[in-house]
Amino acid sequence: MSIKNFSPYVPRPATLVAKKQLSDYVTLFTFEQDNGKPLAHKPGQFIQLSIYGVGEAPFSISSPPEQKNVFELAVRKIGAVTQALHNIEPGQKVAIRGPYGSFFPVQQFVGKDTLFVAGGLGYIPLRSLLRYQLRHREEFGRVIVLIGTRDPKERIFTDQIKRLGERGDVEVLETVDRGDESWKGNVGLITTLLPKVQLDPVNTYVAMVGPPVMYRFVIADCRKMGIPAEQIYVSLERRMKCGLGKCGHCQINDLNACIDGPVFRYTDIEAYQEAI
Amino acid sequence: MTTTYTVFQEQLPDLFRKWSQEYALYVPASAGGGFFDLKPWREGLEVAWEYDVAYNPPKRFLLPPRETLVRYDLRKYTAEPVFEAPKQILFGLHPYDLKAVNQLDQLMEGGSPDQNYLRRREATVIMALDPLTVSPTAFWSSIGGDHVNHGFDLYWTKIGPASFLVAVGSPRGEELLRAAGELLPATAADREAARRAKLRAHALARSNSLKYNWEETPRVLGRSWDSPVWRKYAVMCLACGSCNLVCPTCYCFDIREEADDRLEQGERFRQWDGCMLESFALVAGNHNFRPKALDRYRHRYFRKGKYIYDKIGELGCVGCGRCVRACTAGIANPLTVFNELWEESGNEY
Repeated sequence: MSIKNFSPYVPRPATLVAKKQLSDYVTLFTFEQDNGKPLAHKPGQFIQLSIYGVGEAPFSISSPPEQKNVFELAVRKIGAVTQALHNIEPGQKVAIRGPYGSFFPVQQFVGKDTLFVAGGLGYIPLRSLLRYQLRHREEFGRVIVLIGTRDPKERIFTDQIKRLGERGDVEVLETVDRGDESWKGNVGLITTLLPKVQLDPVNTYVAMVGPPVMYRFVIADCRKMGIPAEQIYVSLERRMKCGLGKCGHCQINDLNACIDGPVFRYTDIEAYQEAI
Repeated sequence: MTTTYTVFQEQLPDLFRKWSQEYALYVPASAGGGFFDLKPWREGLEVAWEYDVAYNPPKRFLLPPRETLVRYDLRKYTAEPVFEAPKQILFGLHPYDLKAVNQLDQLMEGGSPDQNYLRRREATVIMALDPLTVSPTAFWSSIGGDHVNHGFDLYWTKIGPASFLVAVGSPRGEELLRAAGELLPATAADREAARRAKLRAHALARSNSLKYNWEETPRVLGRSWDSPVWRKYAVMCLACGSCNLVCPTCYCFDIREEADDRLEQGERFRQWDGCMLESFALVAGNHNFRPKALDRYRHRYFRKGKYIYDKIGELGCVGCGRCVRACTAGIANPLTVFNELWEESGNEY
């Protein structure tokens, strides 16, 4: 048996270096590992973050790789760990394990157009891939970003998204499910944005993250537009507890979202009843 | 050929005494009310040679209901791994339970090897015992749960009123047996007696049987996702998780923690969880990926009959029948479920 003097359950410390509120409930946290090393993650991967005394929870990494020694998580205040995380201040510590899981196959996207479909907090993990592509802008074709949010108050990264649209080499389309008096843009589900973009379907790769209900509809529309199923990538949220493919919580039929996912090529999960 | 010895019942008290000096020794004994369990051996404890099934599954010795994984310091924000691996002997495991342990070994070692489990397993001596009686809810003989040729240190078969054939499975097992003094190699007649004893046990358990070859189960399930059988039983499910609890191959766990009241030290531990519990697949924002009892009930049988098989080539059910007995709603019978699915799908594979 392969016994080692090492436990994958032991987290390592990281220090909060910056904290920025993105919306009423979502905050961007910037961390630095105490060991001074970069996180060495790939776009789409996640970490397990601990607040000792409270618990541990999985978070997708929002920063691109190659970002010196810091990494970013954007977190919605919604449970015990995320509440405790919102209460800490720069200089205080957390503990992390990972990065874990599969990632977007960036190399396959090279030379192709990329259609980002971000529903709600789905923009957070997609931002890692998006920012990687912007750093290597010349390697990629068109970059099209569709963003859907429940209502204008819940929009996040609004300044960055505004600048994204002003760059000239990124096409950004936003919608909200329900508008209000301040909102002048598109109102409707994210699927209402798809007909507004002219795509070269066979040359387009899709990176999609959103709430569970979104996938089925957006995938169907992408297929109708002629995007080949094997060019569609999704990231699926499940309850990752151990991150090691053991505890059983994140199973999608017999796949473990923590090691087989969270990023899946659509054709690899099409036949799984519990996936989409 | 496997080394076999003949050991007499009168040698056992001395062996148990010697083993228990170095190991925590567990033997089958009465747990009252007609139930049995593996209990810590003590002088004078009567071994229940004819026990039908242990109330609790053997996983509790290798993956305890609660196990500390990490100890941390909240002030320094440091953490240390915790490994606990008491030396223990599990005496009298029936082959279906041994099969369950072998399966856990494989699943816990595969992928990212589970260090806590592997250490406990290494410190655990397993002495299997062929059953003399069969629980009324068991069906192990029809799914290959009585043929296990590895994973034990010693394998005991009762071949006479006061004698056993003992097959050696490891040098550690043979060494432990030598504590009895000079060993008597088994004769051909003793080996033949053991073979017949195994056949008797096998025949006893045949009264509950799958109606088809167990290896077809993954294919039967493969056609049964939308079967009405799931709803028929799941409507009665109380989502109590008893079937998970008593199952020797269920190993899902939750990870939790506790800190002391001064918030200085704490520990993170894992504890048994169950896919039948309503919150098992719940995520932040209250989205539940298996909100209905039907979703959870079906998932459990798919895991037992297909997912584990697709991974390691054997069923995730060993036929011990514990779940049948533990289920208060009377719906957790893998034999009934698999047989009905097979019948419903036209007896085809």
